[in-house]
Amino acid sequence: MSSILEVTNLSMHYETISGNVDAVKDVTFNVKQGESFGLVGESGCGKTSVAMTLLQLQPENGKISQGSIKFDSNEMIGLSENELRKIRWKGMSIVFQGAMNAWNPVVKVGEQIREAMREHSPNNSKSENTKKIRELFEMVGLDESVIERFPHELSGGMKQRAMIALALSCDPKLIIADEPTTALDVVIQDQILKEIRKVQEVFGLSLIYISHDIAVIAEMTDNMAVMYAGSIVELGKTEEIFKDPKHAYTRMLLESTPSIIGEKKKLRSLDGEPPTLINNDNKCLFSYRCPNPTNECKNRELDMELIKISSSHYVDKCCIDCE
Amino acid sequence: MYRYIFRRTYQLIIVFFLFLVTSYLLFDAIPGNAFQNLLLNPDLPPDAYEQVLALYGLDKPLSERVFSYVVNFFKGDFGYSYKYYPKTPIELIAERLPRTLMLFAMVNIISFYTGFLIGKILAWRRGSKSETWITITSVFSYTVFYPWFALMMLWYFGYKMDWLPIGKFLYPEKWYDSPYDSDVIFVLMIKFTVIVSIIQVLIYVFTKNIESLSLKRNVRFIGFLLNIVGSYFFWNTGDALLKKTYAGDIAYHMILPVLTVTVVAFAGTALLTRTTMMEVLKDDYILTARAKGLSQRRIRDRHAARNALLPVVTSFIFTIVTIIDGSVLTETIFSWPGMGQLILDSVLNEDIPVAMATFSFIGVFALIAHFVADISYAYLDPRIRIQSQG
Ligand SMILES: Nc1ncnc2c1ncn2[C@@H]1O[C@H](COP(=O)(O)OP(=O)(O)OP(=O)(O)O)[C@@H](O)[C@H]1O
Ligand SMILES: [Mg+2]
Repeated sequence: MSSILEVTNLSMHYETISGNVDAVKDVTFNVKQGESFGLVGESGCGKTSVAMTLLQLQPENGKISQGSIKFDSNEMIGLSENELRKIRWKGMSIVFQGAMNAWNPVVKVGEQIREAMREHSPNNSKSENTKKIRELFEMVGLDESVIERFPHELSGGMKQRAMIALALSCDPKLIIADEPTTALDVVIQDQILKEIRKVQEVFGLSLIYISHDIAVIAEMTDNMAVMYAGSIVELGKTEEIFKDPKHAYTRMLLESTPSIIGEKKKLRSLDGEPPTLINNDNKCLFSYRCPNPTNECKNRELDMELIKISSSHYVDKCCIDCE
Repeated sequence: MYRYIFRRTYQLIIVFFLFLVTSYLLFDAIPGNAFQNLLLNPDLPPDAYEQVLALYGLDKPLSERVFSYVVNFFKGDFGYSYKYYPKTPIELIAERLPRTLMLFAMVNIISFYTGFLIGKILAWRRGSKSETWITITSVFSYTVFYPWFALMMLWYFGYKMDWLPIGKFLYPEKWYDSPYDSDVIFVLMIKFTVIVSIIQVLIYVFTKNIESLSLKRNVRFIGFLLNIVGSYFFWNTGDALLKKTYAGDIAYHMILPVLTVTVVAFAGTALLTRTTMMEVLKDDYILTARAKGLSQRRIRDRHAARNALLPVVTSFIFTIVTIIDGSVLTETIFSWPGMGQLILDSVLNEDIPVAMATFSFIGVFALIAHFVADISYAYLDPRIRIQSQG
């Protein structure tokens, strides 16, 4: 199957007064047509930064320093703002982490969706657009009266559903869902996840699903990447990683969530604080939290690099056998 | 909503009543009265002064006077001007008010639009060189000592360059053999402006629902052109053709005051817009708008500026409140015979009925403006709309 998105050696840093924050470091991964790809890691490890960099919507101080993003076989780095505008939403759309505030408070929900459609297919009539919004709303479980409502009249769950409808409105090839269920209660979370799954299958979409919750990733994705301090430390088939996690950090993540597959174990909280990302070299940043560091690790001698274990499983070489 | 309006109206009436009584007491506290100079005239019999006071009821005790003033006020009887005797305050206001309103309505509309436009562009180009310079200029014109600035404008455009007239409402020499009264012409100008603005608003409202953006823009542009062509025909046919030169003379005299006050007034709006807009630009929905692939202009106007508008409109309505009292200074400098001069004149001459009438007018105007501010706020922000329905 062909790749819809190929990210190679992508790096992005934020320029701040206290130095550069390396939020995305040398990240490489592929998303195939129709597949669901997961990105997991603790808070602050750079998941949102990756998502924003893919759309090149990172804040002004976020600078891409190297790498390539090929979307649908076309290089996206170096495109002008106007060329990017055509890809945004029509090619790649995103459900934001903070969907609560992602709606303009003074414009009706329907109009905000219609606006995107108007931009990408200017020849549609208003009634065609509205009809499509109705269909989308039905699919995500929203009443059509929501079209005429203002965002503040909706509950958090409804806003999130409407956001998914918005993300689908221009028939994108790839949707990025950045923790779409944080701030929702468990029941709604579950419904939304099902909604996303259903939509993805119905439309044959590719999906990048971002979460700090590795259990959700197990449920939602075919392939996944574990992110730590801006780098991908383990990458591969979701099933394989769950069955045989190689990186000590992945194992920590797994032990900190109630198990969905396999026997019941005692839960452990994540030990240690996440590292600061300011002005780092390319050495492993996990060594001080590693349960079993070698001398090389402690002296921070090893460069980070993904090593192939099997055709569908890669892991960072520092941790290849820190049992 | 009706209950809300009713409650507000009821509050307004009480506030206004207090305002009226306080103003009367304050005017009464001014030492002397309008007729004191009668005492200086040695030819008059000594009791003439008392007779005049008795005629106007000024010999009665204060409490009685306040009471009868307020009662008469609500009956619609404002008394007579002491200075222009047979004229009533209402007649005087009716003559002066349109001149002030026309001048300042113009100033406010222009300064609001330019201020808002410049403010949003400043926020959008944050950090650029042009932004720095325009911001500095705006701060200058926001803080400049207004009378000095107005005099400088008069000196430069009126005297040094001799492009524009130095003050006044019209050139009297042009009007000697005019078949029309200046007020007739002026009222015609006001009607014309109001109708043209209404048509423009209607064009805007009726094209609101056109889905295609380019079509909408074109239709609006054509509407605007038609409006201009229509205005041209209006002034060049029939009756209006004869009045054109006179109307032109008045319009010519309006340019400099309008320009001066606009330069001072726009800066406040621009700076406020810039600040609120920079806040709004940090909001998440701006990111959503960018992610949707909307054009820069649309993000700026539709999403950022629309949300930045709220505090700007409120502050704008509060400036409208100060139009009439603010006009005292401007009208004195530009010798513009409007409400501002009437107020000043009546207070200096202790022409109490006129002073009271003009002050109550300002009071009513201010109260209504605040009322309108509340309602338009609710219109602009759907989140408030709900609450005010209760
Ligand atoms: N605009 C910015 N300027 C400077 N640093 C930033 C900026 N945005 C994010 N960062 C830093 O970059 C790092 C990665 O942030 P990011 O938001 O990508 O994390 P995340 O994985 O999405 O976390 P979460 O799970 O909490 O959403 C964090 O350390 C954060 O402090
Ligand atoms: Mg995030």
